[in-house]
Amino acid sequence: MKTKKEKVLGSDRRDFLKLAGVGAFAGGAAALGATKKTKAADAETPASRGYHETDHVRKFYRTARF
Amino acid sequence: MPASQAVTDGNFGAELSEEDASRSALYRLLGRVLVAPPTDSMLAAMAVLKGDDSPLGRALSDLARTAETSEDLEREYHDLFIGLARGELVPYGSYYLTGFLYEKPLANLRRDMALLGIARREGVREPEDHVGAVLEMMAGLIDGSFAPPVNDFAAQQRFFATHVEPVAPRFFSDLEKADAARFYRKVAMVGRLFLEVETFAFQLT
Repeated sequence: MKTKKEKVLGSDRRDFLKLAGVGAFAGGAAALGATKKTKAADAETPASRGYHETDHVRKFYRTARF
Repeated sequence: MPASQAVTDGNFGAELSEEDASRSALYRLLGRVLVAPPTDSMLAAMAVLKGDDSPLGRALSDLARTAETSEDLEREYHDLFIGLARGELVPYGSYYLTGFLYEKPLANLRRDMALLGIARREGVREPEDHVGAVLEMMAGLIDGSFAPPVNDFAAQQRFFATHVEPVAPRFFSDLEKADAARFYRKVAMVGRLFLEVETFAFQLT
């Protein structure tokens, strides 16, 4: 059961985040959703790029299940 | 793709608040462009981001505008982070905290990764305390990509205090001033402002 104090602090934090511009980042989730979907397609065209996204770079950041 | 679907991927069915969905998306975006240069499709997705009128929002809009016209990001990334022996910056927690790689901060991170059930991918040779990787771990802690408990606020707070706050703000400040930074200067501004918000927000609970 949340005490009144916990509730107040929780909404302070949420209000602050909203005010600070974090809550409005609606496009961000979609942008990253798009990158998740298209990642496979990008992996098919390394030859066209000067920098080759090697396996170890690609795997490096996948320390979490994406 | 609707934002609501994106936020429920991988979080074991729990619903994220709008703020947590935003926070996770921001951490993931920042982390992803730091571990490798963004692909063309990522840049296209970033180009349509719209921030509000807050300092962070304006920095996001600025990043979006820069994403639209950025070229030769592979070279910029290489000059900043790879180089011959090293890039302009060395984006690892151990380096920022001790001046050397493979130090105690990495050991601490590995300990916490084990506790949180985050595994290092096979075949990865770089140390785990790459700033980008740590930010992606933070995203996973928020959106429940890792094992339950989902969205454990105390775990987020501990992880932030131990692995993010002592390193990433200074890193972003350095990145903002780096000679080779163009696109990544805008990334750094978003990162710095976002982490200022996060640091303060964690104190509010």
